Order: sequence, then structure tokens, then C-alpha cells
Amino acid sequence: MPEPVIHVSGLRKSYADVEAVRGIGFEIAEGEVFGLLGPNGAGKTTTVEILEGLRDRTAGDVRVLGFDPAADSLQLKQRIGVCLQATNLPEKMRVHEAMRLFGSFYATTVPIDPLLGRLQLTEKRNAFYGTLSGGQKQRLALAMAMINDPKLIFLDEPTTGLDPQVRLEIHNLVQELRDSRRSIILTTHYIEEAERLCDRVAIIDQGRIVASGSPRELIAQTFGASKLEIAFTAPLPEHAVPPLAATLNSTRTGIAMQSGKPARDIAGLVDWVDRQGLDIADIQLHRPTLEDVFLSLTGHRLRD
Amino acid sequence: MHTYVTNILITLRLMMRDRMVLFFGYVFPLIFFFLFAQMASAGQSGGVAKQVVASVLIFGVLGNGFFGAGMRAVSDRESNILRRFKVAPTTAAPLLAGWLVVGWLNFVPSAVFLVLIGRFGYQMPWPERPFTLFLFGSLAVLAFRAMGLIIASVVNSMQESQILIQLFYLPMLFLSGATVPITSMPPWLQSFAQFIPSAHLHSGINAILVQGETLQSAGKQVVALLLTLCIGFFLSVKLFRWEKEQKVKGTAKLWVLAVLAPFLALGAYDFHAKEGLTNAKRLERTLRRGRTLLFRDVRLFVGDGRVIERGGLLVKEGKIEKIFEGATPEPKSVNADGIEGSGKTLLPGFIDAGVYLSFPKDAAIDRRLAAYLYCGVTTVRSFMDNPIELQLTQRRLATGELLGSRVVTGGHRPPAPRSAEYVRKLLEGSLAQQAAPKGFIDAALPILAKLPPSLDPVPYDLVETGSGLNLLIHGPALHRELRRMVEHGRSPADALRAATGEAADRLQLPVGYLRPGFAADLVLVDGNPLQDITVTERISLVVLQGERVARGSLFEEYDEK
Repeated sequence: MPEPVIHVSGLRKSYADVEAVRGIGFEIAEGEVFGLLGPNGAGKTTTVEILEGLRDRTAGDVRVLGFDPAADSLQLKQRIGVCLQATNLPEKMRVHEAMRLFGSFYATTVPIDPLLGRLQLTEKRNAFYGTLSGGQKQRLALAMAMINDPKLIFLDEPTTGLDPQVRLEIHNLVQELRDSRRSIILTTHYIEEAERLCDRVAIIDQGRIVASGSPRELIAQTFGASKLEIAFTAPLPEHAVPPLAATLNSTRTGIAMQSGKPARDIAGLVDWVDRQGLDIADIQLHRPTLEDVFLSLTGHRLRD
Repeated sequence: MHTYVTNILITLRLMMRDRMVLFFGYVFPLIFFFLFAQMASAGQSGGVAKQVVASVLIFGVLGNGFFGAGMRAVSDRESNILRRFKVAPTTAAPLLAGWLVVGWLNFVPSAVFLVLIGRFGYQMPWPERPFTLFLFGSLAVLAFRAMGLIIASVVNSMQESQILIQLFYLPMLFLSGATVPITSMPPWLQSFAQFIPSAHLHSGINAILVQGETLQSAGKQVVALLLTLCIGFFLSVKLFRWEKEQKVKGTAKLWVLAVLAPFLALGAYDFHAKEGLTNAKRLERTLRRGRTLLFRDVRLFVGDGRVIERGGLLVKEGKIEKIFEGATPEPKSVNADGIEGSGKTLLPGFIDAGVYLSFPKDAAIDRRLAAYLYCGVTTVRSFMDNPIELQLTQRRLATGELLGSRVVTGGHRPPAPRSAEYVRKLLEGSLAQQAAPKGFIDAALPILAKLPPSLDPVPYDLVETGSGLNLLIHGPALHRELRRMVEHGRSPADALRAATGEAADRLQLPVGYLRPGFAADLVLVDGNPLQDITVTERISLVVLQGERVARGSLFEEYDEK
């Protein structure tokens, strides 16, 4: 088995009075897209910044591409690409100048113009950074992260604050990167993003990983079930009792149940409603998402 | 290397796109240039124009140093630009080096620009050592930029940096000597100023630009600047912070003091040797001697006995430039400070051809030379002095460190003794009251009795007062002697000639006459001494080598202690 791209165990980080990371461990294999999912302040950014070599850790074992980020920070930085959460460039720096300037720090770089082409920035080559839109700035940040042709890319909240259209563009770009067999570690507080882009996800809350696995596995582990809901046009008569494991709501105008086999159970429920002489107002099949996983694991919502 | 070059090139491009840089680097100094030039009447002399250029260059170095690199570092950190650099495989060194070099590249053209304006706008002569000036200026701007970087390294926010920068910038501006002459500050502030880096910057630039000295002569300043640059750069690489969230501890701010250490050491040395202050005095003298003066509507006693009843005289660069008979042009038309002289008489500075500067044995020669100057005696011949001490004094007079009458030596005639009555009149005269050291007269009056009561020999052909002996007070004695000559039957013109032109001829000095090319040593008296010789004591102005002597403050440094 090849060495993992990232190995983390028992990672802790304390600031003056708070413990931001309290014992995190995971591994990322080559070519994998790994997501760290959690609300603001959960410790995601602290974790990735330790891996990038930007911050010292308080305790724990960390290897990134075989390096210890705290000790071999310059060598590690030569080999990774980083797209930071909140970063900026001087207003009057042109796009190609930013690429040249940052390229000058690396031992090996890819040609600038094809890279800008891949990120649809060719037209903006000579534009000042200050004139770029949010999406263009983010694409430039991605281009800068790829200037040294890294095998491992860190994307810290790559779509936060962008409108849905631009977010979609960025998603497509990340999928392209994944297709070129690069390892990616991504932090996000968007469920859809993690579900859509990541091979594996770790859910972080208050400095700990509360669950990890592929999005599908996580959903299955936590619920193993979808939620069925049927609403009636009129209340159910007094004597009637719902079938199967379904429960009646307080106004007696709807039933709900958890189901491992939603397709079969829905037919049974519809049949029963018919027999009660009621009309169906609405049927909902609610497949669980990471959001639900998160809620059930942590007791609070992601975007609180 | 590639990293450094790319960094410098792109930083340079960014700088050139910044209009503020253009404004603060070029337009702003220009405004100050014209303001200073106007205030100092830079058009009057090349020396003054050079001092104005030096002052504005110092403004440039300070502004560039404190508001350039440091502010940029803090604002880039505040706006999260530096974070991006932090994830790249680099240390702070290429960035900091880029900022230093670009600041320098910005400064050089603006310095050249200032020199050109001085040259073509104000008839400033070309700097005698342009390359030395270039080296020193470059070193200065780099060193002050390094100080700016250290400040940036130890502040936590833009606000803090504004405060700290102002705390450094303003005192450095005001105590440098570029705005207010150091010599006009109170003594405690003068001592303090010797520890201020900008004061050494000022003395270095002035030594090279105004006095045309070598880099070696500004060696101490060069070493201090070089050390500051190295320490500043090294520390700012070490202390550099990429993120605004990274705070620095209060104690780290003390690192700023490390950068100032070379100058504290230099200040301590200077405090001991008083060199900084001496240099400042010399500079001020150069400035004051460089002014253009125009006397108008005045009676001129030429020195050879001839009198121009109504005329004028132009002084330029410490020498008499031109004599006018009758109408005198407007001061503005010759770019001069006008001095109205109606009812007054302008004479060559008086010459006392025989004095004993080292007597009585109680005070330093310096104060006595000041007393002569106070009384309009601009040259004295000294008898029986220690030649080595006198040579040092002459040197200090020449450089302007010491303000006092010129001294020459040579020859000796034993003085004729004066009567007690003569000395009493001298001591009781108003000039003596003003020029005598504290307590001198009170001490002298009781021992007058030791002098012969009424011995009064015929005066010599020249005025040789023999001051220093026989209770004859340095300075006022010349006026008493002029009076005695007239009492003995010589005409006032004849007596005045003996104290001016004739004495100068005998001593073979280019003074004693109102002639173009002669030293501008002048006395302006209130009235007409040709009718009443006592008028010579009513002195309204003394000029020495073109400097209007501030008579009121001549004795300040001697008598206040």
C-alpha cells in the first residue's frame, strides 16, 4: 500500500485560552478529494493551516507528502498548492504579474499562459486585480495555487461568498483537477459542495472529527433510512390507527415514517390512505443528506 | 536571485502606478523646496541654495523612509495580501529587499530633480562631489527605510503604525536641523538632538553638499547609517509578520531601540566631543554669511578718508560687491535684504592694531573677541599670545564655529600707559557697561588709583589700545582712543582712517576699506562721526564677513553660566 499523501494523528492546537483542535486524525490517499466539513470556528482552517506549514501545532503527528510541515515548511511549500480562504493582492497588480511574482518563488513552474487559459483568464491577463469580479479573483487564486504543478492542493472554503453561478464554475474546475489525479483537501461549510466534490468527508465540530467516510456511507451509517411524509386533505377519523411504523401528526392531517425501503413502503401507505377514504394532498420522500447527518451527530445545524 | 529580481521589478511597477508615490516623492518636496527657498532667500547665494536643497533632501529621506516601506508592509498585512506570500516557499527577505530597493529607486530621480531645480532655479553651484552625495543619499534612504520596516514589524495595526511613525518622524524632522537650525534651540534640546539620527543625516549631507567634504569626513555618519541598515533589515526579516491576527508583544516594540543604537552611540560620542553642535554652528554661519545685503541712503566712509554723503553698498557672499554713489537700486531688484541708512554712516569695521588678548589672565580669548565684535572692531592685532592657541582660535573663527573679531599677529610696540582719569572715563562709558564681563568694572574701579593720575602721552599713528593691560577693557577702548586722537588735534576723518584703511595697509589685510572685493566687515553708526567722533560708540549694526552680527546675543554663551 502506497504511503498516504497526508497522515494526521492526535493533532491538537491551543491558542492562549481556547483549544481550537482537540485530537484530530485522518489519512488522505493519492488522488483522493477529501473534505473537511464543519461550521465556522470548528477548527477546519486551523487544521489545514497546520498542514500547509503556516501554523505550529501544539501536539500530534503530521506528515504531508512525507514532510513534517513544522520542520520542513519551505520544502513542503515548494510542492503544494494553496488557495487560502481570505486573501488579497494589491489592487494595481496585473493578473500575469501576480502569476510571475508567485511563480518566482518556486523551483519548477508550469507556463503561465496555458494555465490562465484553463482557468478562463486569458482575456483578463493584463487586467488589474482590483478590477476582477469575485469569481475571477477566485479563479486567479486557483491558478496561483497551481503554478508549481502541485500533487496536493489545499482549498480552504473555495466558494464561500460567491454567487451560485460562480460556485458552479469552481466546482467544475475542482472536478477537472480531480480528474488529473491530484490529491485535494477541501474545507467547506456547504453540504452540497462536500457531497458533490468529495470522495471522503470528515465532519468536524468543536475541534473534533465526529464522523468520517464517503458521503454515501455517512448517510447510510447514521440513518439507513429515508423519511416518508403524506399529507391528507381532511383529518383522519377518530378510531383509525396508522399502519406500519407510521406516526400521526397532532392535527391528524398527515403521517410520517422512517423507511429502509421507501419504494415499497410508500405503496403500502398510499393504499391505506385510500382505504380510509381520504384524499392525498402531498407526498414527500426525504432522502437524508450530510446536513441531516451533521444535525443528528452534533445536535445543531451547520449554518447557524 | 531570480526571486529578488522579479520581486523588485513588480514592486517597482506597482509603485509607478501609485499616484501617491508621485505626489509625495516629487510634488510634495517641490512645494517645500519653494517654501524653504523663499524663507531663506535661496536666490541670494549658492551656499544658501545648497542648504535648501540639503534640507529638502532630508525631508525626502525621512518621508520616504518612514512612510514608504513601513506603511506599505502594514497595509499589505492588514488587507491580507501578505498572507498569500506566506503560503509560498519564501522568507520575508525578498519582499523586504524589494521594498528597500524600490524606495531607493524612487528617491534617486527625485534627488536629482531637486539638485537640478537648485542649479537652474536658484543658481546653486553644482555639488562638488556628486558621486559622494549620491552614495551618502542612497545609504541614508536605505537606512531610514530599514527603520520604517522595523516600525512596521512591531506594530499591530495601521493605527498603531501611524502613531509610532509620527512619534519618530516629527521629532526627527524638527530636530534634524533641516527645519529649525539646531543652534537656535535651547541647550538641553541641542544635546538631545545629538542622539537623533536625522541630525546626523543633516550634518552628513551638509558636509558633503554644502562644504564639499569627502565621504571620509562623514565617516561616522556613514558607519551609523550602514549599521542601522543592517540591523534594521536583519531584525525586520526576523520579526516579520504575515498576518494581522499575529500580534506582537509590547516588549517586542523595544526592538526599535536596537535600530537606534548606532545613533545613540554616535550621539554619546558627539555629546562628549560636541562635534555635532560645532558642525551645526558652522553651517548656520555659512548660511548667515551667504546673505545678500544692500545698504541704502547712507553716508559712506570709504577708509582712505573719502566720504560719499549719500550712497549705497551691496554685500554678496561675505564680500563687498558694489558701491553706489547717489541713488541705490531697490533691494528686490538685486535680490537682497535692504538696510535703510538715512542719517547713519557706514564705515569699514575698525581695526585695533595692538591688544593683549591673553590678559588679564582670567578669561578665555573667545569672549574678548566677541567683545571686540560687539564694539565694531572686526580685526585685532594681538601681541604676546600663545601662538598655538591663537592658531586654533583663528581656525575656529574661519570655520565659523566661533563668532568674534578677526585676529592677526606680528610685531610689537610696548603700549603707552594711560592715566587713571582716561581709564575711568572708559570704564564708565556705555559701551564698556555692555561689553565688559560681569563684575569686571566693579573690580577695576577701586584699583584705578594704582595708575598714574594724569599721564597722557600723545597717541600713536595707528590705534593701538594695548587693551588687556592697565585695566583697559577689550573692545570699547578703541572708541576712547579715537576720541583722544581728536582731542590731541587730529581731525575725525584722520582718526577714523587710522583705525581703518591705514591699519589695514600696515597689516596688509584686504579689510579696512569699502571697496569691491574686500571683506564685508562693516560698522553702521547712528549719526556722523566726521563731525562728532563720539558717534562711533552709537553702533546700530556690525557686519562680519557678510554676517549681520546679532550683537544682543553675543555674550549669551559666556555670561549665562
